[in-house]
Amino acid sequence: MIRLERRVDQPRWLKVAVPAGSVLTALLAGAVLLSLTGHDAMETYQLLLERGFTSQGAFTATLTAATPLLFTGLCAAVAFRMRVFNIGGEGQLIMGAVGASAAGIALGDGPVVITVLGMILAGAICGAVWAGIAGALKAWANTNEIITTLMLNYVAANLATYLVFGSKSYWRELGGTGAMFPQGKPIAEGAHWPSVDFGNFTMGFGFFLGSVIAIGLFVVFRSTRFGFQVQVIGDEPRAARYAGMRTKRAIFGLMALSGAIAGIGGASDVGDTRYVLDPKALQQAGYGYAGIVVAALARLNPIAVVFVAILMGGLSNAGRALQGPDFPAGLVGTLQGLLLVFTLGGELFARYRIRRVAAEHAAADPADTPGGAPAVTA
Amino acid sequence: MGVRTAVPSPLRQSLILPVSTGVDSPGANVHRTTSRSVKLLSVALVAVLSLVAAGCGGDDDAATTTTKASGSSGSSDSGVTKAAWVYVGPTNDGGWTQAHDAGRKMVEEELGDKVETTFKESVPEGPEAKQVMEDLIKDGNQIIFATSFGYGDALAELAKKYPDVKFEHATGAASSENLATYYGASEDTIYLTGIAAGAAIADGGTVGFVAPFPIPEVIRHINAFELGVQSVNPTATTKVVWTNTWFDPEVERKAADSLIADGVDAIASGQDSPASGEAALAKDLPFVGYDSDQSENLADVWLTASLYDWGPYYKKQIEAVADGTWKTGDYYGGIEDGFVHLAPFGQLVSKDTQATIEKQQDAIADGSFEVFAGPIEDQDGEVKIAEGETATLPELLSMDWFVKGVEGNPAG
Repeated sequence: MIRLERRVDQPRWLKVAVPAGSVLTALLAGAVLLSLTGHDAMETYQLLLERGFTSQGAFTATLTAATPLLFTGLCAAVAFRMRVFNIGGEGQLIMGAVGASAAGIALGDGPVVITVLGMILAGAICGAVWAGIAGALKAWANTNEIITTLMLNYVAANLATYLVFGSKSYWRELGGTGAMFPQGKPIAEGAHWPSVDFGNFTMGFGFFLGSVIAIGLFVVFRSTRFGFQVQVIGDEPRAARYAGMRTKRAIFGLMALSGAIAGIGGASDVGDTRYVLDPKALQQAGYGYAGIVVAALARLNPIAVVFVAILMGGLSNAGRALQGPDFPAGLVGTLQGLLLVFTLGGELFARYRIRRVAAEHAAADPADTPGGAPAVTA
Repeated sequence: MGVRTAVPSPLRQSLILPVSTGVDSPGANVHRTTSRSVKLLSVALVAVLSLVAAGCGGDDDAATTTTKASGSSGSSDSGVTKAAWVYVGPTNDGGWTQAHDAGRKMVEEELGDKVETTFKESVPEGPEAKQVMEDLIKDGNQIIFATSFGYGDALAELAKKYPDVKFEHATGAASSENLATYYGASEDTIYLTGIAAGAAIADGGTVGFVAPFPIPEVIRHINAFELGVQSVNPTATTKVVWTNTWFDPEVERKAADSLIADGVDAIASGQDSPASGEAALAKDLPFVGYDSDQSENLADVWLTASLYDWGPYYKKQIEAVADGTWKTGDYYGGIEDGFVHLAPFGQLVSKDTQATIEKQQDAIADGSFEVFAGPIEDQDGEVKIAEGETATLPELLSMDWFVKGVEGNPAG
């Protein structure tokens, strides 16, 4: 009988060996898949790297793709740190886009500082309110936040669809090609978010802002009282209450913060990339759900979220470059999933060791599986 | 996009995550956890860097060959024209995208060595589309066919940026020097399918129409359909349900089911997939398809469908690129040049009805009959097209009202 045991301490070499090993395994597993389907693995990886990161314009596009994932990743990471499972990044981002596009249209060609600030604020407030609904229900009515945030995603998606497809609302463009196909009203050119040119690549303001927020969150969680509370409440809510922490308020505040971050992501989607509220594309993209994966891969570390978002953005961009008559989209998705699963799965070996044990001993102690017990009780 | 795909993954995540965050003893002290996050950060950094490094190392040769390949194939010196398609759905959607891809395959077959084609499927309409097309241009493609309306902004921008590349926008609204649009008068063939549906149901019956978006194109199609129904069944009506999607088999199927629950006598579809036909088959109701010939799969309930034949147009345009005669334009194909045509009739269409349809088809082709010829009233009984007049092209392209006999809201 083979059993996994938690390592009491991690030897130093493991911290390098495990990630390196799991990436290598991921690439090898991908290579097996590729050669089984008649593709040259080396060439495929080369193309992935080139189109995701190194070729002309690729890194710019990767940052663009990474930006919404950065925000939704942070949104999930922040909430999950306190074991508040905000699955609603999707809806909060959409509501942020709704708010920010209204602000962008209204503020029009004002000074760029005002329009950008206005859009960020509108996006953050809308996202915070949307998450706050589920947060309040969780804090004061003990409602399961997984269900409420998830359901609110559908409400947000349908609301945005209604604004552009189902009504002649403020958000809808009625002139021009808007008469042929329902579409959002574009924000004024003066409200487009600035970007910084680094020579080889361009970084949108949204990505910069997201990175700053990530660093800020890292500091908050590391060295502020709020960060400490989040940790304690997450680990043991009852102990936190005994210690006099206002857990309900913290839950509500954290949800609102989490939603505000996703909302700014929605603002960035409008200000950085699309310049309109595009409900159909937002739903198709599913940034909120992808953000949960980003947060998990980053082990809820805000700064790691930045890098994982870049990685995921590059991987998805490069994925489309692979696609073609001989390389169906399904195979691309399989390859991407394989790379992620193996990279993530390796983490297990950094924290657990494999040990052979006598069968009766293992049977007597069924709960002591790799992290098994929390999965049952959670 | 449906609930079935969206719901489980976050739920599953939520069940997994407590494990990954809370593995350590419940009373874990906070300082330890904080320092753990620093360690995790370094782990994540190493992971990212090593992935990049692993990708970088080793295969410089491949890099050079790839660049060389794309560099040389950019010109047509070799006599090979490189053409690319950007699809909004998967190539096996059983409808819209599949029809375009059939056109691409036809080009490959007929032009053989003279052409090299590729495609990207399920490309979102947004910044992703721009990136995908830039990559296709990098690969040396000389002409790009983008087959969804939502690619318009990306195409307009790229057409300006790459004046030497030819862009073609199916269902597009705006053309420019190197950006052409192409589509066809499927309202004519949809009118003919309406005749088939009107004849297949009882007098004064109702056809349920599963429709994608409340936009002029689709409204025009539904109106043409109802006019076809009325031409043989004057009091019959068409009931519309909007799905707000081009392609989502699950939603399409549900929309058809809701119409069937409402008691319609037949189903017609304006969607990219034939899913509503399966709903019709389950209840044994006559079905009018769109975009794809399902006369074999849905034989028991099949009437006919309006089809597009994109292949000849694609071939013509690619040949024009090859010999340097490509010109921009707004192509609007019709029955007369075979761009739109009907799928084979099913057994539910009687010989008499087939004769009627064929007669009308000839009349449309030779110009002696127009679908939108007055008098035509809207839902409120207001005359929209007066007797003796026909709808002008701008009127057709901006149609936002339903003809009398259509049940539904043209505003969505």
